[in-house]
Amino acid sequence: MSIEVRNLVKTFDDRKVINDISFKVANGEILAIVGFSGSGKSTVLKLICGLIPNDSGEIITSEGDIAMVFQYSALFDSLSVADNIAFALRERKDLRKKYNEKEIKDIVSQKLELVGLKGIENKFPSELSGGMQKRVSFARAIVTKPNTILYDEPTAGLDPMSSTLIEDYIVSLKREINAASIVVTHQMSTITRTADRVIMLYDGKIVFEGTPAELLKQDTPYTKQFVTASLEGPMKMKA
Amino acid sequence: MITLQKYLRQSATYKVFSQLFILFADFLDTLGKIAQLGFHVLKCILKGEIEFKELLAQCDRFGVSSLPITLSIVGMTSIIVASQVAHEMVKQGGGNFVGMLMTILIVREVGAIMSGFAITSMIGSSLASELATMRVTEQVDAIDVLGVDSIRYLFVPRVLSGAIMMPFVVILASVVGVLLGAVTSDMFAGLTYRAYFDSAGLGLYMKDLSVCILKAIVFGATISLISCTCGYFASGGAKGVGLATTKAVVWSFIAIVVWDMIFAVLFFF
Repeated sequence: MSIEVRNLVKTFDDRKVINDISFKVANGEILAIVGFSGSGKSTVLKLICGLIPNDSGEIITSEGDIAMVFQYSALFDSLSVADNIAFALRERKDLRKKYNEKEIKDIVSQKLELVGLKGIENKFPSELSGGMQKRVSFARAIVTKPNTILYDEPTAGLDPMSSTLIEDYIVSLKREINAASIVVTHQMSTITRTADRVIMLYDGKIVFEGTPAELLKQDTPYTKQFVTASLEGPMKMKA
Repeated sequence: MITLQKYLRQSATYKVFSQLFILFADFLDTLGKIAQLGFHVLKCILKGEIEFKELLAQCDRFGVSSLPITLSIVGMTSIIVASQVAHEMVKQGGGNFVGMLMTILIVREVGAIMSGFAITSMIGSSLASELATMRVTEQVDAIDVLGVDSIRYLFVPRVLSGAIMMPFVVILASVVGVLLGAVTSDMFAGLTYRAYFDSAGLGLYMKDLSVCILKAIVFGATISLISCTCGYFASGGAKGVGLATTKAVVWSFIAIVVWDMIFAVLFFF
């Protein structure tokens, strides 16, 4: 087990955004969290990586780093691609003295090669396309060899080919570092291409848990509404 | 039927008081955040957790790039004061004290205060908008997720550069102010440079210079700390960045005046 979430609750302004949810993700497994906008998907990721505190419940993670790939990449725009990737190696207390500059340079090149972007070390984020920025943020996330990777809508806003490329990277990274991964998405292609299991959130609760194939079967009113993107069903869009 | 509770909620008095309460709560919240982050920064500095490369870059930004505007503002203020004062004092037979008055005024007050306002407008606003943009684009979250202390990384070089560079800026601005005071007194009141500079050093003591430098250190650190804090806790999109920047400028202006009052009471009463 790499991540276990037990009875997690988070409230914002008297509204329970996450309402008593529990799930597990094993090493080498990809869990997709799906649901309509505002269902609390990104909040779950922020709770797991400690960016916001939970009200109650438990989040148990294995020893090691948690990495996160942000929806809009969140690259440091004042730093070059190489400095972005090397950021944790240079700034983190426990890693700062572990590598010399030559080693850091080699690691950066190696990570960029892994995401298919060799030779762009000196470019700045503003000089890259959305898909390239996303891949650089992948490289930055895995530089500390994490055993848990969280992806917040990794394919949102990308063209279909870039989305496929990103989805392939998510799967290859899973194989490469055997990390437990959580992918927050509402894109069907990302779910079917990457996920081993899927949970669907609505109103802060898990309303479906199963495999991508089971999701596509549309056996429940929730899965049917989600897959067909229908406005009719148990899930109501909030104004 | 309208209930008493509903009536009270609709009344203008209720609205004014509730608005005042919200403002007061926000004031306490911001003050608490500034104090909390200030202690965190101090702890990091005492532990020696300082990025010297970043510190130098911030010193360049704080001290060097702000210099033209700061010198202009302090210089022009000195010209305005000298043009008002010199002529009148010469007319009343107090021409021999113009230099002394101008020097005391500039070293004790005008140099530090006007530099503080200029630095707030130029550097404070830029620090706040920079950090606010980083916050709303999740760059600050990314720093934290990568296991780096975002307050140490973002605040320490900026606050320290403020404390280091502000004294140089204030001293330079004060020198320019005193010199322009002499030129203005000569032009507007026919006061010779000799008469001006003979009296200039009379009322100035070591204490004035020490307090001026101490005040500059406090002003510089305060402007940076307030601006960084307002930016760090920004929320929302472009509007949030704008609000954080405005808040940083308003709070820094108020803090400069409050600090100045404290210094005046502590050292010159």
